[in-house]
Amino acid sequence: MHQVADNTRTCTMTLGGGSVNFREGETIYEVAERHRKEVPTLCYDPRLEAFGACRLCVVEVEGIRNPVASCTTKATEGMVVRTRTPVLDKHRTTLLELVASENRNTKVDSLSGYASQEFGNLLDRYPVRAGRFAGKKSGTSNTDDKNPFILRDYENCISCYRCVRVCAEQEGDHAINVMNRGFHTQIITEFNNDLRDSSCTFCGQCVATCPTGALGDKKALRAKDTPGEIKKTRSVCPYCGVGCSVDILTKGDRVVGIHPAMDGPANEGALCVKGQYAFDFVHHPDRLTKPLIKQPDGTFREAEWDEALQKAADGFLKVREKYGNHATYGIASGRAPHEAAYTMQKFIRATYGTNYIDNCSRA
Amino acid sequence: MTDQEIIAQWQAQDAPLLPVLHAIHDRDGYLSDDAIRAVSKGLGIPLAELFGTVTFYHHFARSKPGHSAPRVCTGNVCSLNGGLEILEALKSEGATPMPCSGRCDDMVPVLRGDQVLVGHTADTLQHRPTPIPAPNSGGLEECVFRHIRAPQRNTLAGFRATSGYAGLEKAVTSSPADLVALITDSKLAGRGGAGFPTGLKWKAVAEASGVPKSIVCNADEGEPGCFKDRAIMDFDPHALLEGMLLAAYATGAPRGFIYLRYEYPETARSLQTAIDEAAAAGFLGENILGVSGFHFHLRIIRGAGAYICGEEGSLLNSMEGKHPFPRNRPPFPVTHGFEDLPTVVNNVETLASASHIARKGAEWYRGLGLGEHVGTKVISLSGDIQRPGNYEVPFGFSLQTLLHDWAGGPPPGRNIQAVTMAGLSGGFLAGDDLDVTLDEPCIRSKGSFLGAGGIMVFDDSRDMVQVAHDAMAFFAHESCGKCFPCRIGTQRLTERLNGLGPKKFPAWQEEVNDIGSVMKATSACGLGMAAPLVTESLLRYFPDAIELHLSPPQ
Repeated sequence: MHQVADNTRTCTMTLGGGSVNFREGETIYEVAERHRKEVPTLCYDPRLEAFGACRLCVVEVEGIRNPVASCTTKATEGMVVRTRTPVLDKHRTTLLELVASENRNTKVDSLSGYASQEFGNLLDRYPVRAGRFAGKKSGTSNTDDKNPFILRDYENCISCYRCVRVCAEQEGDHAINVMNRGFHTQIITEFNNDLRDSSCTFCGQCVATCPTGALGDKKALRAKDTPGEIKKTRSVCPYCGVGCSVDILTKGDRVVGIHPAMDGPANEGALCVKGQYAFDFVHHPDRLTKPLIKQPDGTFREAEWDEALQKAADGFLKVREKYGNHATYGIASGRAPHEAAYTMQKFIRATYGTNYIDNCSRA
Repeated sequence: MTDQEIIAQWQAQDAPLLPVLHAIHDRDGYLSDDAIRAVSKGLGIPLAELFGTVTFYHHFARSKPGHSAPRVCTGNVCSLNGGLEILEALKSEGATPMPCSGRCDDMVPVLRGDQVLVGHTADTLQHRPTPIPAPNSGGLEECVFRHIRAPQRNTLAGFRATSGYAGLEKAVTSSPADLVALITDSKLAGRGGAGFPTGLKWKAVAEASGVPKSIVCNADEGEPGCFKDRAIMDFDPHALLEGMLLAAYATGAPRGFIYLRYEYPETARSLQTAIDEAAAAGFLGENILGVSGFHFHLRIIRGAGAYICGEEGSLLNSMEGKHPFPRNRPPFPVTHGFEDLPTVVNNVETLASASHIARKGAEWYRGLGLGEHVGTKVISLSGDIQRPGNYEVPFGFSLQTLLHDWAGGPPPGRNIQAVTMAGLSGGFLAGDDLDVTLDEPCIRSKGSFLGAGGIMVFDDSRDMVQVAHDAMAFFAHESCGKCFPCRIGTQRLTERLNGLGPKKFPAWQEEVNDIGSVMKATSACGLGMAAPLVTESLLRYFPDAIELHLSPPQ
């Protein structure tokens, strides 16, 4: 991820007619983004090294003959940059028309993934003429990849390689890469096998960064035909103590999918397979919604919390009376946040006077 | 040798991936899944990445017969001179086509294992040494070819007998800065086509921080219609070595690499002989010529079939074992080259020229050009011309004189319809625009460029739309797939030259112009910027042929 240290020199440049400040080391794209100048892109993900593939972000720089890719060009003192001109608009429109010409489907369901609407939205923003540059389509789909999470519909792939880069740069998994070259490039795992035979961890990062829905969220797409608007609710992943921010997608009262929160302070858009995909327990018929108390015959009966807690407290007291302080051993859940883990050890240490306390993550 | 033994042999050396893959490919004839797994483990390259990189190269086979199957040149000129028929005839042996493989002066090359055979039909294929450049009929003084025809010039003894290494011996009596000043003063510029001043490049590397620095010779001569570097390396390899040694002395770089295109297996062997001879005589190694601290070690890295690896960023990525996409610039190789360290990347002809300049001086070199122009350029001439071959001309020389007086003109009864420039990258010149002089200002004024100096000639019997199609198909085949305008644009332009797309001329022209203009303006490297010159020049000179192609007479 490109980060400019806070203490670098502040410089000035002209951007779209106005004078703006920037810190030495920032790219033109970063400066333009901060100053809310519209610069379209398809291969850019702020978490990744700038790649310079889609060329939509080209801008005009005074003194340079050809437009430059703003994502890979550093801003320099006194630079005069134009982010929107009729010539740039024309180039961007032509580029979008070329990309549209290689794809079979430019409208995908937004349940496909976090960034899945980027391409479609750009097509709407520019005067793109449908059907221009007709010709061969690119990408061979791998929709029968046997995994329950990631749809691999490469007929919609535009070869921006965001998936490959996020897998390598953010996850360190290096599960996927680019096969062949030119118009025949294809995203593959080693030896072009299924994802489950690769080093993929199914974290879903590739799906989240895909700007066309070529990589789709199979679990979320189950609700494609469920009526209702998609509502996003910011929350924290319930699994481990890291505290990854998520946006929970719901239709009506049903959780239909999870999006990583790109601005989540703990995860900055990252999630693991559980946080991303393991939400079916929410609506599962086996899910416990009330405390159960075991009866003498071994069966369970539903109870209210007051009764259940009292029962548990009685049990703790009885064990201490009968066997002493060291007969109790506390294991905190790995899903508990820091504060809960602290309270747990305080409970064991202060109440029992024993150090028999651990965390399941260590077990 | 086992996979592990091969890996162990290269593991600790610079740029190990390509040598390892070649060793296994030569041993088995292809790269098996198991071998790829072993290399991934041995060199610490993620398996998916290595697999993707292997598939990038044209010549790495993934199954038998692979290496031993014939690969037939179907480049622009060869396809018009028997290439397609040979390919068809050898299909039963598993023959596959390969893009222009740099033997346009003696067609049609067929690679069998590590041997190049040539012939116009499948049953007349035979092994022949590559043609030596003929003396120019104008009697003009040459630089690069000055001694190339001297007996045994390709051996150390023959090279020494014709003042070989004298330039280096002279250079080391003075400071590296003096050498940089001399090369700068000569106004020598990159002869691979980019024309960047060589002295400036050497100076930048000399002054850049970070060690060890490298000298990389770009011998990936992949531009269709270019075969000059092959001639230099086959007949005057020590001149290249001397040029690299000069660059090493000027910059303080202790390691050198010659990135040689795959299609020159015999050159790889003869070049290695030259390197071994030079090393045995103390011209390579430690404290060269008794100069304390002047160390230089030189290795050949064989490419594996990828035009884009002639682009310096791709070349460096390829050497480093990465996916050979071009790099974003800046930074440039002079500060962030091989392994992100300061690196000189120079073409074969540039380096060979430097060896002569070091001996004869800057003023001599500048004086070789005509008028205001400086120095010389080797032109590879091929196609419908009576005497194809490499010709060293002074910059500013008349194209018509080269074509008609030196090279004998078109075949009897034919007229020259068009020529390509810069191999294929400069598109076509035709009509009155054939009255140009061979120098960048003049050629650029016609919307083309001289580049690496390949010129293919097409006489009036040729279908220029077909020629343009084959040219664009080459660019589409070689597009790396990184930047959108080139990846999609080369494909769409090829289709438009092959009957797809709009059927009416104005609509066809609008699409082709829009694609061309976005490719020229926004492509990430020279391939995508240059490819549309083919369609642009086709539209300029042959609009009628396009109309005929769009609506053939019933």
